[in-house]
Amino acid sequence: MLLSTAAHADTLHRFALIAGNDTGGADTRPLSYARDDARKMHDLLTRLGGVSPADAKLLLDDDAKDFLVALSELEQRAREAQARGERTALFVYYSGHAKDGALRMGASRLAFDALKRRLADAPVDIRIAILDSCRSGALTRTKGARKAPAFDVESGAARDARGVVILTSSAADEDSQESDALGGSYFSHHLASGLLGDADRSGDGRVTLFEAYSHAYARTVADTADSSAGPQHPTFSYDLAGNGDLVLTDLRASAEGLVVPGSAPAGSYYFVDPGGLVVAELDKASDAERRVALAPGTYRVKRRLSDRLRIGEVEVARGRTTILQEPRFKDAPFSDDPVKGAMLDRGAWWTFGLTGGFQSFFDPQTRQSLFLSVPLFGAEAELHDYFRRDWVWGFDAAVGGTEGVLSLPTLAGPAYRYSVVNVGTSLTAEWPVGRFSPFVGVRVAYLVMGRKFDDAAFPDQRFAMVSPGLATGARFRLTRRLNLTARSRLQYLQYTVDAQRSLGFWELAALLTYEP
Amino acid sequence: MRTPALTLCCLLAVACGGDFSNDDLEFQNALPQREDLAAKLPDSARSSQGVRTRGQALSRAQVLGGPSELALQAYAAGTQFNTDVDGLLALLEVFRHVPPTTREPDRRVWGPFPADGHPGHELRFVMERQGSDFGYLLQVRPTGGGEAAWWTYVPGTFKADGGIRKGEGSLAMDLKEARARGFEPQDANLVERLDIRYQTKVLPSSVELLVSSLGGALPLARYASRRTPEGLGEMSFRLPGEDLVPGGLLETLDIVARWTPDGRGVLVLNILDGDAKGAQYTECWDTRTRITFMQRNWDFITPTEGDRRTCPDVSALDPQP
Repeated sequence: MLLSTAAHADTLHRFALIAGNDTGGADTRPLSYARDDARKMHDLLTRLGGVSPADAKLLLDDDAKDFLVALSELEQRAREAQARGERTALFVYYSGHAKDGALRMGASRLAFDALKRRLADAPVDIRIAILDSCRSGALTRTKGARKAPAFDVESGAARDARGVVILTSSAADEDSQESDALGGSYFSHHLASGLLGDADRSGDGRVTLFEAYSHAYARTVADTADSSAGPQHPTFSYDLAGNGDLVLTDLRASAEGLVVPGSAPAGSYYFVDPGGLVVAELDKASDAERRVALAPGTYRVKRRLSDRLRIGEVEVARGRTTILQEPRFKDAPFSDDPVKGAMLDRGAWWTFGLTGGFQSFFDPQTRQSLFLSVPLFGAEAELHDYFRRDWVWGFDAAVGGTEGVLSLPTLAGPAYRYSVVNVGTSLTAEWPVGRFSPFVGVRVAYLVMGRKFDDAAFPDQRFAMVSPGLATGARFRLTRRLNLTARSRLQYLQYTVDAQRSLGFWELAALLTYEP
Repeated sequence: MRTPALTLCCLLAVACGGDFSNDDLEFQNALPQREDLAAKLPDSARSSQGVRTRGQALSRAQVLGGPSELALQAYAAGTQFNTDVDGLLALLEVFRHVPPTTREPDRRVWGPFPADGHPGHELRFVMERQGSDFGYLLQVRPTGGGEAAWWTYVPGTFKADGGIRKGEGSLAMDLKEARARGFEPQDANLVERLDIRYQTKVLPSSVELLVSSLGGALPLARYASRRTPEGLGEMSFRLPGEDLVPGGLLETLDIVARWTPDGRGVLVLNILDGDAKGAQYTECWDTRTRITFMQRNWDFITPTEGDRRTCPDVSALDPQP
């Protein structure tokens, strides 16, 4: 349950405003997972946090004005609840850019001070703000707030806690970092994982505010310690009227879930969704039964040992509690890690491959008597994540050829050999979904076409031209190092010899790439 | 990074274009080649080199088993024919393997280029097309002259029939005009004009060459060549003004010689005019150009000598119905 004392959990009316924005204006680089983090938090709070869907607002890529309007609507409803004599709590979560003392919601800004004043004035009994954004720690450096130690939080069952609680993902001078392997920010991931059960150190089936924070703090610092941006330190401040700990999620609020029995080996467990993302983690102690409030679905479960992985699959059925059967797991090498992009957080990386395909012009007369349809064979190199994550800079070269017989109005019969040399470079953006990575992008190529006649009376001919175009397709990960790509291209070609003609052609190809 | 990328873009831009053109091929196909027009002579024809092409050899007695002077003369006529055709086609051959300088719809222009061996002159070659009809002009002008200064040295036409150089064509070389313009030909001092007409669309293909001598110093000479893909060749030519038979009139001889690739042949000589008008002589020879059969229509005692069966079958050169 959200923001309730353990004793009065059922008397608190909870409201939640959850916002995610990948963009932060002209001087910021787009984020990849801010909206995903918001979606996850919205799902978690409405499923386990005691917030009814009607009292939760999810804003994706909306600006500061929308944010304040939504906040006003929730405040109005909170007033109505208070008028009915109900105790109220407001939960505000934001994932996105922050810079120069303000949240950046697209091109709009919301100053930290304004947000904090707004929260302080909100007509609710308890307010919790969680900000997952760069330098968000500046919000906790405010007069009157006390900075909490990382773990030294008493989790006693205090009553009548009131005031403002603020959690931020990073300190005032730090960036908040995202991870492809996690499919989100480190902080939001570990906070969510903790709320799903990993943070329930007491084992009572409830995750309190301090449990969740201390868990997220420790895991975020540990995961970012070796990153190029340096360790990221979440902050926590509160000015509660009482010293109460607050229950954020009740793992038994939902009938379904996963129980890891006490007999299961101790260690770290990772729960991976079908998309290859880690949705929850669990650090299990010996002989301790733990509960993970996973949503219904099928998960791969990974347990990491020093020399290998133990991998199994579990299905969490709706309305039922599933018991994890660790003995059914199978040993697997590290190369079979089911986590998407387990190798990705490493900067740019190359793949090299061979391709086979087919090229044909759209205009029938052109492909019959000028530039013939040909099979193509070639080699390609791809530089991944160089300009930004999931962008691929490709370099390709291919050759093709076929035999033809000339058939023109006044000349028919000369046989010739038609050939194409095709070199290009492309820039594509991928959207990985599990093993599939659909992509779309642009390409510019340099084509050299030629034909050589058997009859020496006719001269060899050649034409060369730069050709811009589009490329789209999907990459399928066969193994950790091998990828198979199906790709189509649409290209434009300006023909300039007999006349100025705008031509188009398509290419279909299969590409097998190897990652060294 | 930016500089190499810009350099690469500039290089690619410069390297764009080419000569990949279907129209160019159709224009080039309208130009005759030597192999299309040349008379096909057997290897034994080499021994005819040096033989004069006039008719005084006919005055010698023809002996069965002896060398066929007429055959050698026919071969000599074929060699001269090929030399004349070569001289004309050599002027066009330059443009066959060079991309046109200017491309317009249904028109191509090569040049202007300096005229080799003719200082102070320059050449251009213009081809135009109307449907399947092509016309071309090899033109000359004084170097630096205007558009109006171009005059035509070699005009030609070709009506394409769809195949590889299949069709009907003609071309000529106006040596009289050339001399008048100060563009002195290097050969053919006694020739005023060469005209060639040919057809390659049906078999046997045929070529006709007309040679007009300078100032009418020599009678108009007409040579015609036909051939089949199997290698049969025919050379027909007319020799006017031959004093073949004693008397007051000169004879006009009409000669048709046909041969096989291995050098056997048959020749028919008709006297069209003169003291022996109406006389006809037929002769066959073997691979060594020795006479194997003779027939004279004026000799009532021994009209034939030798075996007619030794004459080769060259009926494939007969006109098709």
